[in-house]
Amino acid sequence: MHIKKGIGDWVFDIFNLILMVFLMIITLYPFLHVFFASISDPAAVVQHRGLLLKPIGFTTGAYKLVFKNPMIPIGYKNTLIYVTVGTAINIFLTTLGAYGLSRKNVYFKNHIMFLITFTMFFSGGLIPTYLLVKNLGMADTRWALLIPNAISAYNLIIMRTSFEGIPVSLEESAKLDGANDFTVLFKIILPLSMPVVAVMILFYGVNHWNSWFNAMIYLRDRSLFPLQLVLRGILISNSTEAMTAGATTGADIEQVGETVKYATIIVATVPILFVYPFLQKYFVKGVMIGAIKE
Amino acid sequence: MTDLTNRETIEINVPNISKWEIIRKDVARNKYIYLMLLPVVAYYVIFHYVPLYGAQIAFRNFSPSKGIWGSKWVGFKYFEQFFDSYYFGRLLRNTVLISLYDLIFGFPAPIILALLLNEIKNDIFKRTVQTVTYLPHFISLVVVCGMILDFCSRDGLINNILNYFGIESIPFMIQPQWFRTIYVASNIWQGIGWGSIIYLAALSNIDPQLYEAATIDGAGRFKQALHVTLPGILPTIVIMLILRIGQLLNVGSEKILLLYNPSTYETADVISTFVYRKGILEASYSYSTAVGLFNSLINFALLIVANYVSRQLTETSLW
Amino acid sequence: MKKHVRKMLATVLALVLIIALFSGCSQSSGTANTNEDNAESSNDTEGSSSEASSSGPEALTLPITTEPITLKYFWTLDPKAATSMTTYNDVACFKKMEELTGIHIEFVHPPVGEEKEQFNLMIASQDLPDLIHWDWSTVTGGAAKLLNDGTIVKLNDLISKYAPNFSKLMQEHPDWHKEAILDDGSYYYFPFIREDESLRLSSGFQMRADWLKKLNLNAPTTLDEWHNVLSAFKENDPNGNGKGDELPFVAIGQSRLQYFEYAFGITASFYRDPSTGKVKYGPAEAAYKDYLTTMRQWYKENLIDPDYAATDTKNFEAKVTGNKGGSYYGMLSGNMGKFLDLMKSKDPSFDLTGVPWPIGPAGKSYGPMAISAVQPVGTVITSQCKHQKEAVKWLDYCYSDEGKMLFNFGIEGESYKMVNNEPTYTDTVLHNPQGLAVSDALIRYAMAVSNGPFVQDKRYYPQILVYQQQKDTLDTWIKSCDPSLQMPPIMLTEEESQDFATIMNEVNTYVQEMHDKFIMGQESLDKFDEYINTLKGMNIDDAINIEQSALDRYNARK
Repeated sequence: MHIKKGIGDWVFDIFNLILMVFLMIITLYPFLHVFFASISDPAAVVQHRGLLLKPIGFTTGAYKLVFKNPMIPIGYKNTLIYVTVGTAINIFLTTLGAYGLSRKNVYFKNHIMFLITFTMFFSGGLIPTYLLVKNLGMADTRWALLIPNAISAYNLIIMRTSFEGIPVSLEESAKLDGANDFTVLFKIILPLSMPVVAVMILFYGVNHWNSWFNAMIYLRDRSLFPLQLVLRGILISNSTEAMTAGATTGADIEQVGETVKYATIIVATVPILFVYPFLQKYFVKGVMIGAIKE
Repeated sequence: MTDLTNRETIEINVPNISKWEIIRKDVARNKYIYLMLLPVVAYYVIFHYVPLYGAQIAFRNFSPSKGIWGSKWVGFKYFEQFFDSYYFGRLLRNTVLISLYDLIFGFPAPIILALLLNEIKNDIFKRTVQTVTYLPHFISLVVVCGMILDFCSRDGLINNILNYFGIESIPFMIQPQWFRTIYVASNIWQGIGWGSIIYLAALSNIDPQLYEAATIDGAGRFKQALHVTLPGILPTIVIMLILRIGQLLNVGSEKILLLYNPSTYETADVISTFVYRKGILEASYSYSTAVGLFNSLINFALLIVANYVSRQLTETSLW
Repeated sequence: MKKHVRKMLATVLALVLIIALFSGCSQSSGTANTNEDNAESSNDTEGSSSEASSSGPEALTLPITTEPITLKYFWTLDPKAATSMTTYNDVACFKKMEELTGIHIEFVHPPVGEEKEQFNLMIASQDLPDLIHWDWSTVTGGAAKLLNDGTIVKLNDLISKYAPNFSKLMQEHPDWHKEAILDDGSYYYFPFIREDESLRLSSGFQMRADWLKKLNLNAPTTLDEWHNVLSAFKENDPNGNGKGDELPFVAIGQSRLQYFEYAFGITASFYRDPSTGKVKYGPAEAAYKDYLTTMRQWYKENLIDPDYAATDTKNFEAKVTGNKGGSYYGMLSGNMGKFLDLMKSKDPSFDLTGVPWPIGPAGKSYGPMAISAVQPVGTVITSQCKHQKEAVKWLDYCYSDEGKMLFNFGIEGESYKMVNNEPTYTDTVLHNPQGLAVSDALIRYAMAVSNGPFVQDKRYYPQILVYQQQKDTLDTWIKSCDPSLQMPPIMLTEEESQDFATIMNEVNTYVQEMHDKFIMGQESLDKFDEYINTLKGMNIDDAINIEQSALDRYNARK
């Protein structure tokens, strides 16, 4: 763009800059608070009120407690499996659905859309779903975490909206050249939809990463537990409610119960935080459209 | 040459096409599409429609040991119980008001952020802002609410700032009139970054040629935002709005449970928190399912209306 | 358009109905039959020991079986154990049980967190283990419902035949017997029993002992003395920083404040009027107005933390350890023990003491000590258990003298030694070489610090209290507590339970809101009569009647 910037533009840019910086400060703070608390002296953390702008004291006791739990590596491994395989399944099915439902002149399109939207509002509840999964033989296997939530109607709708935004002319000219729907999907629509695919990877991936409820319901075999379930266990074991009798030995063991809460958050979220910056490069303005248009 | 004085009606042979013919042609033409949709539909049928029989728990006196079919049928008993409740009106009002506040203030916030981010030229700064603003989404609700309670306490951070400017301390967490504000403001704080992602993705789908054309036409930044950017992401906004309207009665209990107390029940007690407290007294699947069904019906009706309105006004709709 | 929607709705409904018909029908769960089936199969003489004669249960001989038997046992893993173990089979007392009885236990531990969902799913899917250890007060309609539905087995017969130790206990303690049965006299579970008063009170009023000393005061015993002490805290700067920032009484919300109601002869919920034996509801009594008046006065004088209504646990702990809070109602270990731990190194002068139950206008020092030894948590035998006789024998051993020692103290020589004929924990427990906290160390050997189907020994508790202040506090609380207001473990029927919950959810909401409004001054106490009328309009009397019938049924138990 080659417009010369006027005064209005400069004012706006400065205003925008200040606003963004302010926003960054207030959204960064919770994370910093949690991080500082996780390496602070537990007694000081209990006493502390108000802003936490630097760690009070320094101790890695909370992290030691978390990492010495033998379930942690198992948890990480499982979550990695669920995230990669799960997201792949999610994206595959969602893409198929979004493509099919975004084409013009598909007779049953609206019926199916209605059917799917309906499920966002009405469900049978936990017990019948549980019985179903059990009867299908998926209970206590990894499949229980990969199949029952394979498609999110919400995500499907988002992807469909995005596919609908791609000019029909591209599809029509491809079809004239003899392409079938699979070709159109993989050669035209998908390459132009990298931003929304990136969003899907992020949404589904983060969902898998954070999930523990389904694991808690369906899994008995501890070797299949995802990370969040393990962390929840550690968190609850170390909470005040768990201490009904006797506190410490009076020796110098560290009372890390307080700060374990914060350490588990850091352990749980830092890996996933690296995904977004990696995906951001796909949020690039319409580079592809030009390329496809030859 | 046709003799136009001949008043015979000319018959045009148009075959009478039945609906089944249309469908057959459609399936034939779109066979790959239906093939693609097959696993999707199968998934929904198996995992969402098959268990749907469980919704009847709302109409039965459900007992886990009797199972769903063995539990006694009681019709609308639990619905009546809910509607007859002393607090029904208040609960409904609080739920709707909190949801509306959240909609009016919380819905546009990520959109505005996305638009503002779009105006940032420096790529590194832009990416940094994006990454930082979405961090709070990952901090657990318990920790965030702990912070809120602390900051808003009578001798907490916010009151300290107010005192500095000579304003007397306000007991934010005890006065019902503040609850909605705190709830919605903290929602924005925690969710604005994450919420803007979908709009940022939509922004990158806008054909840059449109911007070039607008520049050539002499449009400044603001005009471009109005006539290129906004229309470009309008379908996304509309769909998100429809879906959001379809969640009007879904004010979840988790956050409110952490932030409210009896002093703020007046504005903070919503349907889900009331049902939660009942569940502590006596675990009733039936009651909570009935209330949930009621919520879903209203939500679904709202969605259908929103969808219809949207179809008339814009070209975007769910169906 | 409308037609469009209607058509689609019709399609959906049709689809739903068809699918529901086909799938749902197969899910019928008929458990009525299994109960009889199992009763028959358990009569087979399996394993050792001859059938006892008709009088009295046969003596328990070990091992219980020579053929390998496995019992599946659903039991929530105590969070204290979860820090270092994944199954109770790692706990010494259970290992010993297997050695002695020859029965292997396969524990089913739901993941720590939402055990309730797990339990409900288990019952709903009818995928039952042999034994379930659970808190039966949380089940709607109580265990009576499960008994009627055929999910669990009625135990009277089995106990009289195969459980000599348990039978003896019930005979020696008729009050325990009364507490352990259903209204119709059925035994349905093997309960956890806290044998002594000292085990049934773990929370109470606590105060900064160093502040009392500094201001030359004694711990208050009456409400008037409380007023004096709190005023002194407020005015005389015991935390020594020159600012009048003391919060003489702090609380995590109103529930911790309401223990003062005892001094007025009422409780915050349902209680028994000592003079008539009838059930009353505290917040509907005239004495409640007196309680509100006093608290309102204290609040006005800033003797109560003005923010008490919105204080969460974290803020509460910060206020106490931050030298602002002067007194509170809290747990012996979770609060007193924890605070003493935390402040040990930071502020050696920080000291806490327990305060006796205050005497108020009611003239007695009433307090919330549970009057029943038998706890609602215990083990049931499910209808799917194929070895009911052996299961009963295994459970019965837990109630024998040896079983009691095993489950309370662990292994002699390892976790305890006999000193002057009293079981005394060793350093492995009290000063664990690997640095484990006392309760974490103990639970590797014994279950006393958690719960189970056994009798909790009173000698265990004082030993695991680390601080002398805790031991003294326990003494103070037990000695001063008059438990006459407490209700025995009554049981509501399923229908009563549902009606009760409907009424009480509304009543609780209203009572809680008004409590804070009255005390914080937003509502004038002149409105008290209006408040009572609203309560009556919410059918509080029906709720009281429900409790009363349940109490009558309880009293009539034999």
